[in-house]
Amino acid sequence: MRLKFLDKLSQTLEKKTEKGQPLHRFWALWDAIDTFAFTPKEVTTKGSHIRDTVDMKRVMITVIIALFPALLFGIWNIGYQHFLSIQTSVSFWGALWYGFLKWLPLVIVVYVSGLLVEIIFAQIRGHQVAEGFFVTGFILPLILPPDIPLWIVAIATMFAVLFGKEVFGGTGYNFLNPALIARAFIFFAYPSVISGDKVWIAEKADAFSGATPLSDIANNHLSALPSTMDMLVGTISGSIGETSKIAILLGAAVLLFTQVANWKIMLSVVAGGFLSALTFNILGGTPMAEVPAYQQLLMGGFLFGAVFMATDPVTAAHTQWGKVIYGFLIGVFAILIRDYNKGYPEGMMLAILLMNIFAPLIDYCVVQVNIKRRMKRVKIVK
Amino acid sequence: MINDTSKKRQVFTIRKGLDLALKGVAVEKTQRLECSTVALSPDDFRWITPKLVVQEGDCVKVGTPLFVSKTDERLRFVSPVSGTVQKIVRGEKRKIERIVVNNDQQYLSEHIENEIDATPSTIKTQLLKYGLWAFVRQRPFAIIAQPDETPKSIFVSGFDSAPLAPNYAYIIKNQLSELQEGLRILSLLTPGKTFFCLPDDCELDLSSLPKNVESRYFSGPHPSGNVGTQIHYIDPINKGEKVWYVELQNVVTIGKLFLHKKLDFSKTIALCGEGALQPMYYTIVNGGNIASIAQNSLKRPIRIISGNVLTGKVIDTDGFIGFYDQQLTLIPEGGERELIGWLLPNFKKWSLSHTFLSFLTPHKKYSFNAQLHGGKRAFMLTDVYEKVFPFDILPLQLMKACIIQDIDLMEQLGIYEVTDEDFALCDVVCPSKTECQSIIYEGLRFLYNN
Repeated sequence: MRLKFLDKLSQTLEKKTEKGQPLHRFWALWDAIDTFAFTPKEVTTKGSHIRDTVDMKRVMITVIIALFPALLFGIWNIGYQHFLSIQTSVSFWGALWYGFLKWLPLVIVVYVSGLLVEIIFAQIRGHQVAEGFFVTGFILPLILPPDIPLWIVAIATMFAVLFGKEVFGGTGYNFLNPALIARAFIFFAYPSVISGDKVWIAEKADAFSGATPLSDIANNHLSALPSTMDMLVGTISGSIGETSKIAILLGAAVLLFTQVANWKIMLSVVAGGFLSALTFNILGGTPMAEVPAYQQLLMGGFLFGAVFMATDPVTAAHTQWGKVIYGFLIGVFAILIRDYNKGYPEGMMLAILLMNIFAPLIDYCVVQVNIKRRMKRVKIVK
Repeated sequence: MINDTSKKRQVFTIRKGLDLALKGVAVEKTQRLECSTVALSPDDFRWITPKLVVQEGDCVKVGTPLFVSKTDERLRFVSPVSGTVQKIVRGEKRKIERIVVNNDQQYLSEHIENEIDATPSTIKTQLLKYGLWAFVRQRPFAIIAQPDETPKSIFVSGFDSAPLAPNYAYIIKNQLSELQEGLRILSLLTPGKTFFCLPDDCELDLSSLPKNVESRYFSGPHPSGNVGTQIHYIDPINKGEKVWYVELQNVVTIGKLFLHKKLDFSKTIALCGEGALQPMYYTIVNGGNIASIAQNSLKRPIRIISGNVLTGKVIDTDGFIGFYDQQLTLIPEGGERELIGWLLPNFKKWSLSHTFLSFLTPHKKYSFNAQLHGGKRAFMLTDVYEKVFPFDILPLQLMKACIIQDIDLMEQLGIYEVTDEDFALCDVVCPSKTECQSIIYEGLRFLYNN
């Protein structure tokens, strides 16, 4: 499938953006657009002569495909929740359209502000623009409330890309999940727009309770807790992408089937969360700790974080056993924070960021075990 | 990992690895190819600095040294044919690229002493004298073995599991007595054992192996036939230890010298790959010119690889087969662009990941070209290497240790057990297009120089 004029345009622009040419300062931008349109033509010059067809673009697009069920449901749910709160009935398409108009500006702002920073850095470094941000930029709107002011989103995105990623060398060198840095930035800098009962439903009528299940429980409104079924399907209030557990599980299936995400991390997060929730069920002490373990897993961003954010291969632990430990501790900390820290009803974001920081330490320990095993072999031989 | 299928057979099953299904398997038919010229390239011998001992126009015989190693002049690199030195090709800074010898097709040999008493020192002297020592390489580093050292064991891999690799059982089925002799001679060089590694479904009848030579069996995907993998499973190398290894056909060459008192540097190579018009076997003198078989290839532009697609070296259409290479692979060069290729479902392109729909047809043979299929990125998908790397070594961490040139860490993580070819499959599957082989090569080189 080739279009000749595109070919020609590509060749002309490629020449004009070469080093020393007038348009060289736009090389990174041009290269990003060009490799987006056509697969690169480079051939191997050293090492193995043949290579896997997969590249990071393909990996990233697979993650985005996996996010689609959660996105589509989330968009519909924005509309559904809004019309529910003003008590007007609306068609399926009406709700979807309303939600789409809420989501679109968010995603545009995120991409424009984030890519701006990315492209500037790629140009300065002479690197190609890494695809990582396509996923970051796609995930970020999904973990925000629908009515969040766009300027805050823009600042948070730029902050996350700049200080979460580029200062460390760009995609692949960052040790914290950039989307979570953006969310944490908003959480701590502008807490009123991302917590409380008011923000989770777009243009909510004042009379309607917009509390998420988590804040309901944290405030001792146990009776207001939605049914397990509602939490599973996702017709509840919350961040755009996190509400429907079924949609998230569909995404998980895509990620696991294509082997893009590591199943060990996903499974161990869920296991860690479930086991610690069970333990806290016994210990008790706070209203949250008494919520059954299986419901804990369905609340808030736990599952979304487990599937899409804990599995980020760059910020997770890099060794196989490290991934298991890393995932398990995310689950434990997420529930621990949720159950015993009233200030933060949603523990997943902080748990993942915390374990991002500890991932290199976990890896170090696993590597030392490997080294010790090898050293033992020497003794046996001698 | 070890299954005892019978009392005698010890089978090692390799679970991690990859068999790449390329088009163009050589059919089992052999033709002799007379080459008008042969060439010896110092680059084929890792980290050997050549010192020329012939000039253009000199007459040489089979076994006449063309160059020796500057650091150890006992290491001779000899002419595989008789004739005259046609040309000494030099590159930048007068580096010797290759020494081309005109083949008079007489195969007149240097005089071979008749009484060959098989003690370790006489064997070494003989091998060094007739230039056969270059066949004996060592791990770590994959360099030519030091004649003064004694290895803890010697390995001969009886099969090649690389893509489109020649079937050794077919090649040596008529040379079994030479093989036995070669193995016997090699086994005298070590106080330890000599391991002869064979595929689990071995077709060869090796009922009587020489004393001290033990057979071991391997099953599973590539790199089960790589000697590095076999050493790792049977007799892993610790710091300070040396293991020697010789390619199967070169064992036969050694066997011929001691059995028939004859210097015969011919070997059988597989002409293979999608670009080859008639993929089949050719018996060719080592270092022989391959122009006549490479020129009539199917696809243009073509990439001619001396060796396999994982570790081979690109050569010209009138190039020469590499000293250690057993196959000549012709694949299309590629370089075409595809509109939004990252989004298309793509049934036609192979990938280890399941991100392309081609995973639905795992047994299909695919057309591979030399395209990189992406841009270079930092390490991102960190667990992809471990799927194809059968060692008890952490590949990513070892590569990082090589990049930061931390010798202690490299040693601890097992650098002595590997060489670049063991990371060839990591090259293939990495979505960040990391040059894993180069990283390991540079790491080894740094270690060697220190």
